Amino acid sequence: MTAETVLRAVAPDAETRAEVLRVEGLRVTYRTEDGDVSPLTNFSLTIREHEVVGLVGDAGSGKSTAALALMGVVRPPGRIASGEVYFGGEDLLKKDEDEVRQLRGKDIGIIVQNPRGALNPMLRVGTQIGNVYRAHNQVGRGDAAARAVDMLRKVGINDPERRVAAYAHELSGGMAQRALIAMALSSNPRLLIADEPTSGLDVTIQAQFLDEMWDTVQETGSAILLITQDLGIIANYCDRVAVLHDGEIVEDKPVREFFANPEHAYSQSIMALQREVASDRTEARQSMHSEAEVTTEAHLVDIAKLTKNFPIRGSDKVVQAVQSVDLEIREGETLGLVGESGSGKTTVGRCLLRLEEPTSGAISYRGEDISGISKRDLRSFRSRMQIVFQDPFDSLNPRWTVGRVLREPLDLHTTLSRAEKVARSRELLEMVGLSPDILDRKPKGMGAGAMQRLNIARALASNPEFIVLDEPTSVLSPSAISELITLLRRLQDELGLSYLFISHDLTTVKYLCHRVAVMYLGQVVEVGTVDQIFNSPRHPYALALLSSHLFPDPAHRRVDHREPDALSGEIPSPVDLPVGCYLAGRCPHATDRCRAEPQVLERLADGRMSRCWRVSAGELEAAP
Amino acid sequence: MAETVQIHEERRTDWLFWVGVTIVSLVTFLAAFGPSIAPYDPTLATGRVAVPPPGLSEWPGLFWASLSGQLDRPPHWFGTDATGFDIFSRVISAPRVDLTIALAANGLSLVLGVFLGLIAGYFRNIFTEGMMRVSDVLQSFPVFISAMILVALAGRSTVNIVIALALLYTPIYIRLTRSEVLSQRVRGYVEAARALGNPEIVVALRHVLPNSLAPALIQSSVTIGFAILLTAGLSFVGAGVRPPAPEWGLMISSGANQIILGEWWPSVFPGVAISLTVFGFAVLGNALERRYDG
Amino acid sequence: MLTRYVFRRVAIGLIQLFGLVIAVFFLIRLLPADPVSRFVGLNSSEEAYAQAERNLGLDRPIMTQLGHYLGVLPGEGEGLLQGSLGTSWVTGTAVSTEIAQALPVTLELLTLAFFFALVLSVPIGMLAAIRPGGAADKGVFVYSLFAGSQPEFWWGLLFVYLFFFTWGVAPAPLGILSPLTSAPPDVTGFVLIDSLLAGRPDVFLEAAHHYMLPVATMVFILSGPIIKMVRQNMVRALGSDFVLYARCAGLPKWRVALYALRAAMAPSMTLIGILYGFMLGGAVLIESVFSLGGLGQYAIRSILAFDYPAIQGVILVITAISLLVYLALDLIHAVIDPRVTF
Repeated sequence: MTAETVLRAVAPDAETRAEVLRVEGLRVTYRTEDGDVSPLTNFSLTIREHEVVGLVGDAGSGKSTAALALMGVVRPPGRIASGEVYFGGEDLLKKDEDEVRQLRGKDIGIIVQNPRGALNPMLRVGTQIGNVYRAHNQVGRGDAAARAVDMLRKVGINDPERRVAAYAHELSGGMAQRALIAMALSSNPRLLIADEPTSGLDVTIQAQFLDEMWDTVQETGSAILLITQDLGIIANYCDRVAVLHDGEIVEDKPVREFFANPEHAYSQSIMALQREVASDRTEARQSMHSEAEVTTEAHLVDIAKLTKNFPIRGSDKVVQAVQSVDLEIREGETLGLVGESGSGKTTVGRCLLRLEEPTSGAISYRGEDISGISKRDLRSFRSRMQIVFQDPFDSLNPRWTVGRVLREPLDLHTTLSRAEKVARSRELLEMVGLSPDILDRKPKGMGAGAMQRLNIARALASNPEFIVLDEPTSVLSPSAISELITLLRRLQDELGLSYLFISHDLTTVKYLCHRVAVMYLGQVVEVGTVDQIFNSPRHPYALALLSSHLFPDPAHRRVDHREPDALSGEIPSPVDLPVGCYLAGRCPHATDRCRAEPQVLERLADGRMSRCWRVSAGELEAAP
Repeated sequence: MAETVQIHEERRTDWLFWVGVTIVSLVTFLAAFGPSIAPYDPTLATGRVAVPPPGLSEWPGLFWASLSGQLDRPPHWFGTDATGFDIFSRVISAPRVDLTIALAANGLSLVLGVFLGLIAGYFRNIFTEGMMRVSDVLQSFPVFISAMILVALAGRSTVNIVIALALLYTPIYIRLTRSEVLSQRVRGYVEAARALGNPEIVVALRHVLPNSLAPALIQSSVTIGFAILLTAGLSFVGAGVRPPAPEWGLMISSGANQIILGEWWPSVFPGVAISLTVFGFAVLGNALERRYDG
Repeated sequence: MLTRYVFRRVAIGLIQLFGLVIAVFFLIRLLPADPVSRFVGLNSSEEAYAQAERNLGLDRPIMTQLGHYLGVLPGEGEGLLQGSLGTSWVTGTAVSTEIAQALPVTLELLTLAFFFALVLSVPIGMLAAIRPGGAADKGVFVYSLFAGSQPEFWWGLLFVYLFFFTWGVAPAPLGILSPLTSAPPDVTGFVLIDSLLAGRPDVFLEAAHHYMLPVATMVFILSGPIIKMVRQNMVRALGSDFVLYARCAGLPKWRVALYALRAAMAPSMTLIGILYGFMLGGAVLIESVFSLGGLGQYAIRSILAFDYPAIQGVILVITAISLLVYLALDLIHAVIDPRVTF
């Protein structure tokens, strides 16, 4: 902890620091076929020196428009209709284009969501960084190239001399985002605008990146405007929060105050889930059965040695997506399946419903094997197990009305009359909290949250006992997430459903699940109760995943106490996997035995299972 | 960048869409009734050879005169050609030949192409991949020359022209539909339909097919236009319908030799007709495409 | 890497060509045309008919005919595999010789037309893209739709009427050189080049003058799709995230424009290739209007005369050239865009 951060944490005189940017009543307008649309109506915000200001808001609230407009840039064919943007005491919007251009990239840097799209696909990364540097500094090509290497090294890229020659498509998302930040910080700007810089990055990478960004900015002394939907990021990195709703700032206060006491109705709605989790903190959802009695009991779903390989076209290699996974799901419980992208968690869910044919392994449902039966026989199981997908919009036939969507499962699995089907459809809509009068509407135009409710209603139509929830909240806004999770929990209580909840968002997992399985590179590395996994993870990967997760709790800010047990390096390719433990290359506790010996999932004394011999041997004790 | 503001390109010139609709309706009307309302039999020589059309200033007077029955015979609005045919009658009768060929060829290739494209995209196996290779070879034929070969060697009949064009256009529809099916079949709603317990064939027909039709239907408008151009072009080089059938390309061709001598009217009027007709279909197709994308 | 890619593409192209040749070979023999009676006349005696059929080789089984054409039958002379395209049934001359005479005209016409079409259309398309939806864009858009859907042979005739008959600024549409002009010695086959090589600027100017109208016609037709494509790619490039980001990074205007231009040109290559291949066959009509005596006109003559070896030769040559053009443009595309890999 540096002296400065201590100062920041307690600084009572935040108000007295010098202003970097002050925005007053900014309004941005787009002319469209249906008249003018203003994503930003009345945006006012002040950012002071050394301050990290978080800007939250739903998709479509105008966050990104604001980010651009602060630099006087608007996506064509939009324009800034009114307002003032004071930077260094002068109104940017009154300056001529060339003067403002000098500020952009020099005094104000920006990094954006989708970094690979923001890099020119046809130029080497180093050239692009050099071009930006040369646009603002009187230097030659050679100096600019050297600066590019320096900057890449500074933002944590290994081997920067080689990376400057890479093209955008050759970089991973995390790497591209680092290149972008190298570009943005190359001229030591006074303000860095970071527009959802980590969306699309995996959690362990996200934490690494944000830490590095934070460190770099501490060095250069820039202020940050951090735009995000993720309250975890806000809580862990920001000093102040501004809430953008319908193009207007509706709340603006220090981060702790905000989390303790959100005032605006919208702020309260996005905080709802966090508050529930917080109130639940002491008693995470308990498994209905203690781990000991489990083994003797009949399960709803049993997965044994499930393996799925995807052949690679034009090669005899395979992607080993899922490897010998054993899991069981008990009646009435929610099993959480967590892991980063590429961990195989989604494939497990899809294999379970035979949307993907397993390469090998057995899946049984109430003791009946369903992994080998014909597609025709499988159809009778379809009414009992259902799935809800990640993208609610994509999961609905765009040409169908709500009524037709809901009628399909009823046609397939029931013998109801036409009128009964309509009645049942209305009932289903009410169950998920939608108006029963939307039967004749098309889903287009409904919000993502409402569409996801409709998907849940469709899944419920055939009265299933078990539902696979495949990242159902990942494209939703914070307020929709908390509503959906609350709904899922209510449905479970009312209907006695069992869930397999696949997610990378640990906050929702914690709230919804009874037990959690952590996957890494196609293997389950640890399974246990929510309490075990969240409060005392044992496997080094589970530990790293948990410590990288940014819980929305400003009392335990990541920037105030850095976790020591971070993983290093990149995730190995699922095509060429290591011989021994898959984590050995990144794990701080790895030994020669780890690198040589494949690991097996073993039961520990407290009933959980873990895939690490050192954990089994008691060599790695739970973190205090 | 984040939350991309949905900016539809401004609805470019909506009047253009109506121009397209008007032209296409007019041509369709003429295809149905052109020969019946023509003042002269389009395939019967009048005996008056190479009569130039009346000057524009005379048209109102002539029009009034013809309406009030003061003339002993209808005027030759567009003049007559070297054979003595009334050009106006032939120009308005031609859509029955040109449009019929274009519609039939397009319809045939559309149905065949969409069907094969659906199969090729949805059920990917050795047969459908083989079919795609055959379709590739067909598509690499130079279109106009291939059409000439097919028609000239099979016999210059309307049916043969239709079959030749259909054969050449089918691969386009196969490709369009297949690529749309490939992108639709991995969509969530298709998965969901499967998860609900629908048999594959039902998923393919009820979910994937209706959502994969748009590109082919949009292409139709363009294809019809080009089929008209191709039909006319075939006649122009003597590999299309036989004279004296009223067909625009044939008319342009028969006037081609006179144009050097200054007799412009036998070629110009049918040319204007083709030009406007194909433009109308192109405009319509483009408008449909924009609506679909928007 | 590169040579392997080119080698593979050429190999695939050869297989494709071979498939095409076989397909065409059977296709024209399956169609109900009777080339024999075309040559001996409908009222000829049976012996004369049979004699003619034997002369053309059409009395033999179809597989034997194919073997003969390919040159795999022992003791029957050279065939396709030895590089011979056979002999024209109409003139008795080698098809390859006839094509070699006709092809340069077509290539000259196409190359000139593409050159001028690109020079005119690319700036217009870019201009339209600067303000999508603006007045200039709308005008350009309507023009491109119109030009892209026109009967080229009719426009050719119209140009002849206006520029030759009415205003007298163009020569009569009767070939490239008047019969009175002595042609320059044949070095490359391309009149424009040969005349310069022979130091005959008068011939060069005459040929250029004769090319004026056909090239203008083709430029008009080509400008439609090219403008549309350039505009579309440019609009897309200007609206892309990386151009927006380049603006946000404060790059000078000219560099932002350069970023966009390069991004817009790359995908245009493919379409230009397809257009070139399409026009190679589509030049038929323009050549016919202006009696240029190119490959297209040779195709018309051969098809209407049921001259099978010539038909096969024409298709083979056109497709081969198209494939080469595709390959060349794909290589250029790869140079512009590093995402394209071999």
